[in-house]
Amino acid sequence: MIPIQHFLVLGAILFALGVYGVLARRSAVLILMSVELMLQAVSINFIAFAAYLAPQEFRGLIFAIFVITIAAAEVGLALAIILRLFRNRATANVDEVDTLRW
Amino acid sequence: MRLDWSLLAPEYVLAGWAAMLVLVGTFFPRLPKTWLGYLGAAGALAAAGTSLIWLNDDAAFGNLLEVDNYTTFFRLLFHGIAFTVCLVSARYVGERLKNAGEYYGLVLLSALGATYMAAAQELLSAYIALELSSFSLYVLASFARNEIRSNEGGLKYMLLGAFSSAILLYGLSMIYAATKTTQYDGIREALSGDLEGARSAVLLGLVLLVAGLGFKVAAVPFHMWTPDAYEGAPLPVTALISALSKAAGFALFIKLFVRGLMPLADDWQPLLAGLAAATMLLGNLVALQQRNIKRLLAYSSIGQVGYILAGVVALSPDRPDAATAILFHLAGYVISNLAAFACAIVYYNWTGKEDIYDYRGLAERAPFLALAMAASLFSLAGMPLFAGFVTKFVLFQAIAEEGFLWLAGVGVLTSFISLYYYLMVMKQMYLGEPEEPGRFSTPWLEYAAVAALLVGIFLVGLAPLPLMEAAEDAASLVYRELGTALVAGR
Repeated sequence: MIPIQHFLVLGAILFALGVYGVLARRSAVLILMSVELMLQAVSINFIAFAAYLAPQEFRGLIFAIFVITIAAAEVGLALAIILRLFRNRATANVDEVDTLRW
Repeated sequence: MRLDWSLLAPEYVLAGWAAMLVLVGTFFPRLPKTWLGYLGAAGALAAAGTSLIWLNDDAAFGNLLEVDNYTTFFRLLFHGIAFTVCLVSARYVGERLKNAGEYYGLVLLSALGATYMAAAQELLSAYIALELSSFSLYVLASFARNEIRSNEGGLKYMLLGAFSSAILLYGLSMIYAATKTTQYDGIREALSGDLEGARSAVLLGLVLLVAGLGFKVAAVPFHMWTPDAYEGAPLPVTALISALSKAAGFALFIKLFVRGLMPLADDWQPLLAGLAAATMLLGNLVALQQRNIKRLLAYSSIGQVGYILAGVVALSPDRPDAATAILFHLAGYVISNLAAFACAIVYYNWTGKEDIYDYRGLAERAPFLALAMAASLFSLAGMPLFAGFVTKFVLFQAIAEEGFLWLAGVGVLTSFISLYYYLMVMKQMYLGEPEEPGRFSTPWLEYAAVAALLVGIFLVGLAPLPLMEAAEDAASLVYRELGTALVAGR
């Protein structure tokens, strides 16, 4: 059996990549994808913990399902907002969106 | 597991009403948009009335949500916020925004999510409620869809909000790993036992959790989105975000930290104390340089978050004093803040301006509005007679009694600083020369809402006992489950 550490390391790497992406990417769409990466890391964590630490319970799995669902809703919402911005400004680059000071 | 669906009736009312508003807005396009606002306000009122049925009740929906006086306290608070926001945005939305039905529907839905944040006794429910409330607010913040500022404010709010919830979730996964449960009570029991090797996971989870929740309530250094989202969003939405998302965030904060994470108090107290001090100082100091009334109120609300966070630091395992003080201060803050925003909305409806300099001479052109604005700003600053004084006094006292005298000191100091920038607004209103002479026409409905909030400010300021007792009653329920086991464990 694969030890749980492998899943946790995978989750941690994905999460770190996501954080790096959010901080380093300038396009709103890519930032959004990086956030998705972080959420997937969370799902991996939850599923691994559910399977290894409390195999009789579904708590972690349910949590993972909800994380996936909410992430999907989040993407829909964020893309709609980005689309509006793109229509009005013809850019999705967060550095060029500077009407308000950050 | 007992599933008593009737316990959630106020939320059915809100959700049904929200759906109805969207449909009415779609299928009756000729209906005056202001009516939709009144209809939305009626929905909030109906939900508040329904939630009174469970006053003094003590029940739980499965192991997910609790309906006790803590929940009822926040239900009434959030429904009151939704009611006020619907009422004061009627004219604003009618003149400036499209899709009024969806607007009011989302206002009600955000209140629904906020209610569940207070009611949740389990991490997953709390998280879903948090996202429901946040998602509604994201859409509302970018609701002026052809206005670049609104798009931009909404985008920043949304991206940083999503980033913070991912951080929060990673923290939750760590806590789940260490405790193998998502129930607050179960977490507390697991944490007061022997953690074996899981302590580092718990600490990592705790830090990430604080960061994620810090984003939601806009604590320094996670406050970057606040001024932009506030400035970009339509004014009534700014009012909603500043009142609802803060109050809901702290409703969740208190319950989770008292019921779930109390055994780790020694670890989170210094962490939160640092955040609270930084939030109080930075929020109030940066507010000094603001020229825009929305940004000023944004930074002032960050300062207020600092005071409340200091209250969270003082949460103790055996006395509900600090929790009481937080609830009390939250209610006072919500009333004063909504009053200030209502005045700003009325002024914006007249002139379309939102710079502090544009308020010059307001006292001559609209004496009542200037008076109301001055009163709400004095209340936010914490002057005697007004709500802010009593609530801050109780809060700082509770903080000092728990041994965080220095935090209370920072609070008092920054309150003095805040008085300066509030007085700058008043200086413009009372000493500045108006741009043009003549009175503004009187918007009766908005004035009635402002007057009601003013009455609230003075009522809390002069006769605080009823609200104080309600807060005490609600806060003591959070401590209900905390038996002697915890005290012995520490």
